[in-house]
Amino acid sequence: MLLEDFFSPRILVIAGKGGVGKTTVSAALALVAARRGRKVCVAEIDRKGTLPRLFGGKALGYQPSELSPGVWGMNIVVEEALAEYLKVQYHLSRISRMFTSPQFVDYITTAAPGLRDILVLGKIWYLEQGRSGGGPVHDFDTIIVDAQASGHMLTFLSAPMGLADAVQVGPLRRQSEWIIDMLRDRERTRVHMVTLAEEMPVQETVETSVALRTRVGLVPGVAFANALYTSHPGSDPGSTDGLGHSKPEELDADVLKEEAAAAGFRLDDDDIAALIGYAGFFKVRSAIQRRHLRELRKNIEEPVIELPFLFSAGLALPDIERLADEIELEVAQL
Amino acid sequence: MNPIEDIIDHKQVIVCAGSGGVGKTTIAASIALRAALKGKKAAVLTIDPARRLATSLGLKELSNHPVKVNRRKFTAAGLEPSGELHAMMLDTKTTFDEVVLQYAPTRAQAERIIANRFYRNISSTLSGTQEYMAMEKLYELHSSGDYDLLVVDTPPTRNALDFLDSPRRLTDFFESRMLRWFLIPYMKAGGGIMRVANVAANTFLRLVKRMVGGEVLQDTAEFFGNLEGMYDGFKERALEVAALLRSDATTFVVVTSPSDESVGEATYFGSRLNESGLPFGALVVNRVHPKLGDGIQVVKARHLRALKEGGADARLLAALLENEADFMRVVGLEEDNLTALARKVPRHLWVRVPYLEREAVDFPGLVAISEQMFP
Repeated sequence: MLLEDFFSPRILVIAGKGGVGKTTVSAALALVAARRGRKVCVAEIDRKGTLPRLFGGKALGYQPSELSPGVWGMNIVVEEALAEYLKVQYHLSRISRMFTSPQFVDYITTAAPGLRDILVLGKIWYLEQGRSGGGPVHDFDTIIVDAQASGHMLTFLSAPMGLADAVQVGPLRRQSEWIIDMLRDRERTRVHMVTLAEEMPVQETVETSVALRTRVGLVPGVAFANALYTSHPGSDPGSTDGLGHSKPEELDADVLKEEAAAAGFRLDDDDIAALIGYAGFFKVRSAIQRRHLRELRKNIEEPVIELPFLFSAGLALPDIERLADEIELEVAQL
Repeated sequence: MNPIEDIIDHKQVIVCAGSGGVGKTTIAASIALRAALKGKKAAVLTIDPARRLATSLGLKELSNHPVKVNRRKFTAAGLEPSGELHAMMLDTKTTFDEVVLQYAPTRAQAERIIANRFYRNISSTLSGTQEYMAMEKLYELHSSGDYDLLVVDTPPTRNALDFLDSPRRLTDFFESRMLRWFLIPYMKAGGGIMRVANVAANTFLRLVKRMVGGEVLQDTAEFFGNLEGMYDGFKERALEVAALLRSDATTFVVVTSPSDESVGEATYFGSRLNESGLPFGALVVNRVHPKLGDGIQVVKARHLRALKEGGADARLLAALLENEADFMRVVGLEEDNLTALARKVPRHLWVRVPYLEREAVDFPGLVAISEQMFP
C-alpha cells in the first residue's frame, strides 16, 4: 500500500484498550505523516496524556499547539467542547459559567447518554470541516484521534447512532447524522486498532473488529500489534527470529566460549548463564506473543502491522522515530 | 518481611489501585489466593477480569456476590488451602439498585426510581458511579462480617485517582442545589408548565429542552423528586464508606509496572493517598524484566562484526549477545525508574514481581504469580 493511500482519509482514529500503546502509535503515525509534509494534529480525548512528554513540550490545551514541525497536539476537553457547541449552535456567546461547570456537564451528559462522545466527535467534525467556534482555524491534513483509554471504544463510536435514536428531532439529531456519515465514510475516516500480543487485548481487538462493522457500520483499517519481542534482523539470516531455531537449553557453553575467544574476547560462566537465560526468556515470551498473534490474525479480517518492542522502559522521541520507520516499511508491504 | 504478608495478617480490606494495564486484577487475585492459603476466608472483588481468569475462578457471569473457588482448583495445583478463596465480579447496576431499595422509604418509591430513565443513565453513564459502587459493595461485604479479608480491584479508570473522588462526586451530584433549584417548576407542575420568574432557571430549562428534549427534563425532575427523603441516608452511607477506607481495617496496595509513565502515576497516587489521609500499605512493582548477570562489558562492536561474518555458531553467539544487551538495556532503564520511585516509596514497602515465563490468565498462572510474590 502506498503511504499516500494510508493517509488519504483525513481522520485516523486509533483504538485500543488502556496500556497497549495507543499514544505511542498515534505519535509514530503523526511523524510518518509529517515526514510527508502533512500538517498533523493528534487529538487526545479529555485527559492529560503522555503525548506532549514524548515531544518534550508542555501539557496540551483545547487549542492545538505545535509539538514539533508539522505535528500539533490538542486535548479535547468535554467542558470546552460543550462551550464551543453552545456558542456555535445557540449563539450563547457570553456563556454563563454555569453551563460549562463540571456539574452541568455531568447532568446533561447523563441525561442524554452519548452526548459526551458526540461533543468530542463533533469537535473532530469541526476540525475536519476546517471550522472553529472561536480561536484560530487550522487546516489539518491529518487528524489522529488517540481514543479513550478506558471504557469501550465502541460506546464512543456508536454514540451518534444511540443519540440519533433517542433524540428524534432538532439540531442534535441532524448533527449526529453528520457525524455518522463522517465515521462510516472510508474516504474520510479510518479506524485503526492497537493491541498487545496478550490474551485480553487480543480478545478485545477481535470483538472490536466485529462490533465496528455490526454496531457502528464501519470497516476498520489495520491492527497494530505493538511491543513484539523481535531480535535484530540479519544476525541470523536463516531465520526470522535472530536466535535461530536453537534451543537455549541445548546451547553448548564450550562452543560459545570458543567462538568468543576466536573473535577476540573472553566469556566466563556467568556471562554464558546470562546469554542462555535471556535467550530462554526471549524464546518463551515471544512464543506466547506469536501464539496470540496467530489468534489475532485468524480472527480478524484486517491486516496486522507488527511493531517491535523497543527494549526500553518509557519511550522518547528517538524511539518514536524508530517506530515511524517501522510503520513506513510495514505499510509499504500491505 | 514481605509487607503484603503483614497486611494479610492484620487488615480486613485491601484496595488495589494503579493505572490501566499494570496487572491490578491479577495482583488482587494473587493476594486473596495467598490469604486463603494462610487460612483466611478471603474474597476478591474484580471489576472486569480477563475472561479466562474469570472462568478459572468459577465466575461464569455477573453474580454480584462472591462465589467460592472450587477446592479442586487448589488440589490440582498441588495446594492445600486451610482457608477459602471467594471471587466476584461487580455488577454496578444491581449494586446501585440494592442501595436504592435499602434507602427508599417505601418499596414503591424505590421501584419508581429504578424504573426511571435518568436513574438508569446514571448507573451506566455517570463517571464515578462504577467506582463508587465498588466501594459500596466492599462496605456491604465488610459489614456482613462473612469474610476475614476483602481484596478489591479498582476499575480501570483512565486516571487511577478518579476513584478516590468518586463518592464525593456522586453525592455532590445528587445533592446539587443548582439542578434541584432549576428543576423546581418541573417538579411542582408535574412537568407541564414552565412559569418561573427566574431568568437563569428559564434559560437553563429552555437550553436543555432544545438540546435534548423536554422528556429528559421530566425524567430528571421525577428522579430528583423521588429522591427526596433519601439524601440523608445516601450521604450517611457515603460517609461510612469513606470512613471504612480511612480506618485501621483498610490499606491500599498500589500496583505499578516499571515503565516511567506507570511509575509517575504510582508516585502521584501515593502522594494523593497521603493528602487524603488514606493508608498506604505496600507497592507492587509488577512485570519487571528479570536481571540475569551484570551485563557483559567485554564485547566491542568489532567483536560483533567478526562474529557476524563467521560460521553458524559465531552468528548465533552474536545474536545471543545482542539479545542479552537488549534485555540489559531494559533492565537498566527500569532500574532508573525504580530508583526514582524509591525516593518516594521506601523499598521495604515494595514487592517486586518479575515478568514470568507464562501468563497469569488462569488458576495455575495465579499460583505462579502468588509464588513469586510470596516466596
